[in-house]
Amino acid sequence: MTRLFRHGKVARSDSPELGEADVLVDDKGTIVAVARDLSAPEGTETIDCRGCVLVPGMFEVHARACEPGLEHRETLASCAASALRGGITGLVLLADTEPPIDSGNLVKSVMDRIATGLPLPMLQSGCVTKSREGREMAGYSGMAAQGVPFLSDAGRPVPCPDLLRRAMEYARDFDLPVASCCDTPALTKAGAMNEGSVSYRLGLPGIPSISEEIAIDRDLRVADYTGARLHLMSVTTARAVNAVAHAKADDVRVTCAVTPHHLVFTEEDVGVYDTRMKFLPPLRPESDREALLDALLSDVIDMIAADHAPHTEFEKSSDFGSAPNGASGLETTVLALYDTFIRKNVFGWDLLIRKYSDSPRRLAGVERAAVSPGQRADFFVFDPAAETRITRESLRTRGPVTPFLGRTLAGGIRHTVLGEAIHG
Amino acid sequence: MSELAARKDLLDIEDLGLDEIEYVLDNAVPFKDLFQRSVKKVPTLRGKSVLSLFYEPSTRTSSSFEVAAMRLSADVTHFSVSTSSMVKGESLLDTIETLQAMRSDYIVIRHQAAGVPGIVARNTGASVVNAGDGYHAHPTQALLDAFTLREVFPDLEGRRVVIVGDVLHSRVARSVSTLFRKLGIEVAVLGPGSLIPRGRHGFMTRLSDWEETFDWKPDAIYLLRVQLERQEGQFFPGIAEYHRMYGVNSDRLQRIRRLGAWLMHPGPVNRGVEITDEAMQYEKSLVNAQVENGIAVRMAVLHWLKPENAKE
Amino acid sequence: MSETPDVTTEEVLDSDGVQAGVEELALTIRERCGASGAAIVGIHTRGVTLARRVVAKLREWGVDYPMGTLDISLYRDDFDNHGQDFPKLESSDIPFTLDGSRVILFDEVIFTGRTIRAALDGLMDYGRPAKIELAVLVDRGHRELPIQPDYTGITVETRREQYVKVRFRENDDREGVFLITEK
Repeated sequence: MTRLFRHGKVARSDSPELGEADVLVDDKGTIVAVARDLSAPEGTETIDCRGCVLVPGMFEVHARACEPGLEHRETLASCAASALRGGITGLVLLADTEPPIDSGNLVKSVMDRIATGLPLPMLQSGCVTKSREGREMAGYSGMAAQGVPFLSDAGRPVPCPDLLRRAMEYARDFDLPVASCCDTPALTKAGAMNEGSVSYRLGLPGIPSISEEIAIDRDLRVADYTGARLHLMSVTTARAVNAVAHAKADDVRVTCAVTPHHLVFTEEDVGVYDTRMKFLPPLRPESDREALLDALLSDVIDMIAADHAPHTEFEKSSDFGSAPNGASGLETTVLALYDTFIRKNVFGWDLLIRKYSDSPRRLAGVERAAVSPGQRADFFVFDPAAETRITRESLRTRGPVTPFLGRTLAGGIRHTVLGEAIHG
Repeated sequence: MSELAARKDLLDIEDLGLDEIEYVLDNAVPFKDLFQRSVKKVPTLRGKSVLSLFYEPSTRTSSSFEVAAMRLSADVTHFSVSTSSMVKGESLLDTIETLQAMRSDYIVIRHQAAGVPGIVARNTGASVVNAGDGYHAHPTQALLDAFTLREVFPDLEGRRVVIVGDVLHSRVARSVSTLFRKLGIEVAVLGPGSLIPRGRHGFMTRLSDWEETFDWKPDAIYLLRVQLERQEGQFFPGIAEYHRMYGVNSDRLQRIRRLGAWLMHPGPVNRGVEITDEAMQYEKSLVNAQVENGIAVRMAVLHWLKPENAKE
Repeated sequence: MSETPDVTTEEVLDSDGVQAGVEELALTIRERCGASGAAIVGIHTRGVTLARRVVAKLREWGVDYPMGTLDISLYRDDFDNHGQDFPKLESSDIPFTLDGSRVILFDEVIFTGRTIRAALDGLMDYGRPAKIELAVLVDRGHRELPIQPDYTGITVETRREQYVKVRFRENDDREGVFLITEK
């Protein structure tokens, strides 16, 4: 089925300008033409995109589909549906399943399941250590052969610097980045949120910012020493960002990501022990949030990653101290960033494309997405005039715990187009 | 008086208004007067049920609440978690469903995790009284401390109180400092750098040692109970060093006596740590008054709160 | 008589009438209790005012009875909280022993009798009087319990839904007994 997307505006990564254009996609899912006033061949489905923006598909490098072992939270199918709802057309799965994905065979079994027919491409990452226990290296050659884009113990830092060093040296042979969770358990301990005035007032054990910063310092130095590729999964403080900037100036091969939650919320948003605001690393004070935004705009921060961590409501219903960290993010990231930043001209679609499409794809080793002739159709149609109310029913994820639950965000994703398929 | 909005629960001091605080403190006076009678009971809460739910052991606070409830003629059921079927590990939501089914009018709860009394309060129609949750709050302790201090200083505005000890881990310190501040009292803290929280309220001045504390001329000295063994790690070298640096010994007691300052402690006292045996005899110790007043203040609190099912 | 669109207020007894009522009560009490005496216990708030006035009058005549006050907020049942969600508790003060004594309870108005019932409970938690009597300035009828005053200033016929308000200058901005009707 040929499709003509009419009267919309096309967003691009190299300029904040939106060009009015029609987009014609042939029946093989390839973009044939991007220009004004295109005429449609017979049998073409016409989709009116008046007022809408056509944006290249987003890419999430820290997704979770919770298979095997945690299917009460998410499945490959629900994860895919959730991603497409959020304008995401590709993703990397983290390896913190049960059992964790720490061998080529386990990677293959997930990839085989993916190949049986999911509507969007997914890659599977592998663990740095066996069973994520932080004691022995996992088998990198087998996992590399199965196409893992990076290694990560997802949520668990490698405890021993010596093991980290050897892991990085060996992973470098496969050109595999090691993706770190930026945390020092001996400093975090039972901490539940950022250590500061809010944790004091709520009487919660605090996580000092140095827990993240010391971990980042350590990993940067090991990466520098070994020449390996390092990816920092979530940076949240001004000092962390400074450390990354200095490392980059010293040519350390580091990339880093920021979550939409850390760009939008602060520690004050924990409110009255709201477990939907519980993350690791935790939400920080406003000064750090501002520093993150600056770092994103100045390219110290390479990419945005939602760190999609679905949980059931029951799991998050305990007291704040005991509740697990993380929230779902696939469906809300684009909307939240539009609502908070793009709509207010803090930054444009071009930045979002660079940070949530181009850079993540580069890390994953996949092609860029662009709305240009000759490219595979890989974009979503965004309606700035719409509103999206985030409710349990509206969410496709099985784990509807998101800090945006109950909120109405500006904008709406009408369709996500991937090849010959159109979703939504 | 009827400007007060009805309140179902008492969870912390933060959001109490001055008028509410004064209402409770004023009403505690006649409740205390009842102790002089041979019949110490009044029928005010007859037919009402009070559930006492203590996840952390505490004989003093739980019995104080129980006596308060009984003197109001309420029916009291005491749940000690270790002895009941409410096993550690039963999910909070399941426990709350059980509590709802029991239809208590009042639930007095102490829990090791901050925020739990609030979760119970939001999910049951009972009036929930926070008897202490993690490091967060212990509102009735703060109220009885304010009541006790008010007996000595009818005009609290401008008075000075220094809180001594492990402020970091103390819900008592948080509630007392917040309440005292609302009443116009100047609050300072004295203790080791590793036990004075960075994120504390700006009004909590840190005094560096006892010398500076005496120069500051406190009207009352509030000693916190010190518990140095902690799962989360080591915060201070040991109790001998604590006592040497921060304990009320006979020399410091002399200085306190000369200042005419009052001594307070929420109990139970670690003799030899916060204070020596000798200093416990200090004539201006308010420790016993605090205990006695605890019952009266808790009676006033139970009298004041309105469970949902009481709203006709 | 004052009127707002929905409320009518009728003055049943003016300030002089109130004082006459006080004197009448004092006289009758002195006659009946005489030398053996009685203990006067006023029920907060205006029962205390009334009791104080009667005790002052008796003193003028050289008769000195001990006086105490009783706050009964803690003894009321749900029905007669009188619309007050946040009663301010007063301290009760009975500075003499009640055991074996003759007590006269004072309240400014008797209506259903429930307030007096609560006062009886409260009083007897302080001790065991030999005899308890009741003195009121106004009896407005509509009893729901078998409780009757022994000393009455005036009796006023009222409908159940009307209100009777006694005002004393010590407590209020005017003095008198008022019958209020809401339309």
